[in-house]
Parts: sequence; C-alpha cells; structure tokens
Amino acid sequence: MVKLTDNEKNILRGGKGRLQQKALENIIRYAEVLGAEELCRVTKATLGLGAQPYLNHIQSDDYNKIFSRVYMCTDEVLDINHNKFSESCFCVTCTENCDSEDYEEVGLTKEYFDKNSRFLEIARAAGVSMASTCAPYLLGWLPLKGEHFVTTESSNAMFCNSLLGACGNPDGVEAAAWSAICGRTPKWGLHCAENRYATHEFKIECSAQSAMDWDVIGYTIGRILPAGGIPVITGDFGYPTIVEVKQLFASIATTSGAVMCHILGMTPEGQTMDMATGGRGVAGTFNVNEEDYKESLAMLCDDTPGPVDFVSLGCPHYTLEEIQDVANYLLGKNIMKGVRFHIWTAYPIKEMARVSGHLNVIENAGGRIMTSSCPIMVGESIMKGSRGVALDGAKQAHYIRSMTNAAVYYGDKYRCIDAALSGKWDI
Amino acid sequence: MKTVLKGRGAIKGIAEGEALVCPDSIQGWAGIDEITGVIIEKGHVEEGTSINGRVLVIPSSKGSNCWSGHFNSAMINGVKPAGWVVTQIDSRVGVAAVVVGSPMVVDFSEIDPCKVIKTGDWIKVNGDTGEVEISQK
Repeated sequence: MVKLTDNEKNILRGGKGRLQQKALENIIRYAEVLGAEELCRVTKATLGLGAQPYLNHIQSDDYNKIFSRVYMCTDEVLDINHNKFSESCFCVTCTENCDSEDYEEVGLTKEYFDKNSRFLEIARAAGVSMASTCAPYLLGWLPLKGEHFVTTESSNAMFCNSLLGACGNPDGVEAAAWSAICGRTPKWGLHCAENRYATHEFKIECSAQSAMDWDVIGYTIGRILPAGGIPVITGDFGYPTIVEVKQLFASIATTSGAVMCHILGMTPEGQTMDMATGGRGVAGTFNVNEEDYKESLAMLCDDTPGPVDFVSLGCPHYTLEEIQDVANYLLGKNIMKGVRFHIWTAYPIKEMARVSGHLNVIENAGGRIMTSSCPIMVGESIMKGSRGVALDGAKQAHYIRSMTNAAVYYGDKYRCIDAALSGKWDI
Repeated sequence: MKTVLKGRGAIKGIAEGEALVCPDSIQGWAGIDEITGVIIEKGHVEEGTSINGRVLVIPSSKGSNCWSGHFNSAMINGVKPAGWVVTQIDSRVGVAAVVVGSPMVVDFSEIDPCKVIKTGDWIKVNGDTGEVEISQK
C-alpha cells in the first residue's frame, strides 16, 4: 500500500482534474509494482514530445487520442489541450526528431515538420518549455542535490545523478510524462540515498586526457559493468572537464543501464571511497587499460579506410566551447564538395555561436550548425545513401550502425573535421 | 514434474504460456520489432523468436532509458507477452509492467528463474500470490 499525502489524495480524488488524476493513478500503480511505500515530489522534467516515431503506431491525427494511448496508457481520451502539467515541476522538451528549422537538410518532409510543430504547440500550451536538447544542463535546467527529477535522456540522468547529486531513475517516456503531469514519482531506486552507492571500482590505467579518451573510457566501463551496478572511477588522472565528463556519462549509459557514476574525489557523493561505497566496499574491481581502450575503439570505428560524405559532431549536444574549437580549426579552410558537415547543439547555443562569430566561420567553410536533434533521433533519412559517416560521439557511433550500411568512423573532432576537408577517412 | 518458485507479485492476475527465457534480457533500442514482437537484437539467444503470448523470463531490463516504450509500441500493434517473470525488478521493467499490464512476478531472492526455467517450459504466473509454477517440457 502506497502512503499518500493529503495533496496526493486530493489529486487522486480528481481535485486537480482528470489528467492529473490519471497520471497519479499510473504513478501509484508504478510504485506498487516496484514495491515503493511512498512518493516523492518531482520538480524538474525533460520529456520526449513532438511527433516522436512511436506515435505513428496510432492511426489518428487527434493528439488527445495519441497522447492518451501512448503516454497515459488508456483508451479514455484525456484532454491535454486544456490541462496544464504540474505547476510545481519545470518541464522542458528533450531532443526532437528534426532540426528546429530545416527539415530538408535532414531528409524529412514538410508534412512531418508541420505535424511536429503542431504537437509541440499543444505541449507548449500545457506548460512545457522548449529546450529540445539531450544536454538541458547547458541551458539552466539543473536539478540540484537532493532534488528529484525525471528525464527521457539517459546521459542527462547520469549527469544529474552523478555530478549534481540530484535524484532520478531511468524510467522511460511514459513515466516521465506521468510524473511531469502529477509532480510525483515512486520513492525508490536512486531516489533513496541507500541505493546510490558504488558497487564496482574502475581503475583507469589508459590515457584520460581528452573528450575522446573519456568517451572511450565510458564506453568500456559500460561494457564491463555488471547489470544493476554503479561504478566508482579511480586512478591517477586530472578531473574531467565539462566537455569530457559529458562524453563519459553518455557512453557509460550507452553500453550499460547505469545512470549513476562516482568519480573519486570529484563527484559530490564520491569524495572518498568510504563515501562512494557507503563504507561497504565494492563487490569487484576492474582495470581499464590501453588494451581495453583499443578493443572499444575497434567496436566503434571501422578498420578500413574509405570515402566520407557525412560528418556529424556533437553527441551529446555541443557546448559553445566545443563549437569555438571547431571554428578555430576550420578558419580559412573548406569542407570538401559533396561532404555534409553538421554540428549538433541546442538552439540557444547556436545563437551564442552566431553572435560570437563562430557560426559565420563554420558556414563559410561549408558546414552547418544544426539544432534540437541528432542523426540517431532523425533516423536513416539523414544519411541519404551515404558511403561513409564520421562521428565524434561514441553513443552516436554505437547506435548508428543499426541504421545504415555506410562505413562508420569514430574519432575526435579534429580527425572528423580532417575527414570532412579531405572527403576520406585514413587509418 | 512441477516446480514452484516464490517471488513478489507485481502485476496481479494469472497467466499461462510457454516460457521464453532471455538470461541477458532484451535491449531497448533495436531489441524487438515493434510490429511483430520478434526479437531483432543482434546475437541474442532468441533472435528471430516473437515475445507474443509467451511468458518472458528475464533478469532485469537492459539499455535505453525508454525500454518500456518499445513494449508499449508492440502492444499497440497487438503484440505482448502473456506474463513476465523477472529476477530483480528495476525502474525500466516497472514502467513496462504498468504499460503492458500482463501478470508479473518479480524479486526472487533465493533461486534465479533465468537459471531454473528453460525456454519451452509451460509456466503459470500468479501475480496475486507471487507464485510461478513450472511444468517442464
């Protein structure tokens, strides 16, 4: 039996309308399934909204009907058009399935673009703000220590749990919507301090000096980590920067189900080994050495040289600093004719790049800054029969293999830019 | 011969069906075909088998924050497991349980159902009592 507060009882009686009532009914059922005894208040949410591909399974153009079936799991048609999401939960959109302005560049139709805009307009009216990024922490969506959040993006869950000390489980697109609407989630899993301790130590013995190093390290840790485990990273390295740690978190969450990771001495709940493990010690220790690094790299990057006609940087979405690095490197150079060169970020960061002059440099070289999505979210239409694809995100390289027959190359941003300049990947 | 395992009933109701045992679970992204329910995960022990009408026996979830969404899409297309047996519940499985609604028994502390149940065994999942009855094929 889940214990409810007076406010929750009021929502459950319908005091805040049928939409919130149904959302709380689902959350209580979810809590019962998990074995949770009470709920906690959710104050931040990122949501997978707009014309997401899984909505296509419903043969209807009525967003109320689609939202009710897919997100709320009911055949009862709930009114999303005239009901606000929880007033105490700051809700923003997660990555969309199209660039925010240019559908043609990513191989989508105007019909799709208009449908996406229409669905997002309904979400906007319901109180959801538009961030449309996998890295909302770059824009000020920041749940802090002890705050409870929901998100549909695993790398974001990892960032907020690990680095900010906020609390969130990986619970998916439906439960994120229920929580955003009723402002509650089961008090279970990473929402409870006793479940946030490290279970396995990873001693870093390979190079850990660049965004790519940390990307590959994360990919390796995720491959090795036992199911349900939480890593603590130790070793003789300089603490990763924001650009590096964002890669680390995204790639651990690609090859494992973990959304929490301690970095000894750096992350707030991992200042000492005792703190990280709750004094219980770890169940196992693994070394990550140069051999492991090479093994991961071989899984991410094809081993034969070949032509490259599509280059995509920014997984997770680029910071302004990374865009500046690209602009500095590209200054006075030209992307090879026939190569499409995309940098993915959030649209406010693109605007910052514009006023900083970086956008101009990148566009003059023949590149584009794209926003609000990425190749794996857009799907295969973005590749347009490419022969070779070069990427600087391990998560992107991992998932894109199942979407294309093109050669997939993975390397740091400079190597990817070199491929864009020459039109080929040299081994 | 019948064996009974005791776990915790997570979704009430009784379901019967042929076991589909996935000791390494099923990944979220590109794990199942959302129209046919066929497992499409590369190298999966049951690659090519449909989850439809089966009792799915898994240790927990695997990968993708939106694990439940793939089972949700399959269900909308009329395809779902008859019941679930899950060694240790996690949040992704919890959402999928609510979304799909099939009887589910979870949290086996002593015996791992993934090791005891074989694909093809006839399974009765009792979400009311937390009992899982195994009739070996």
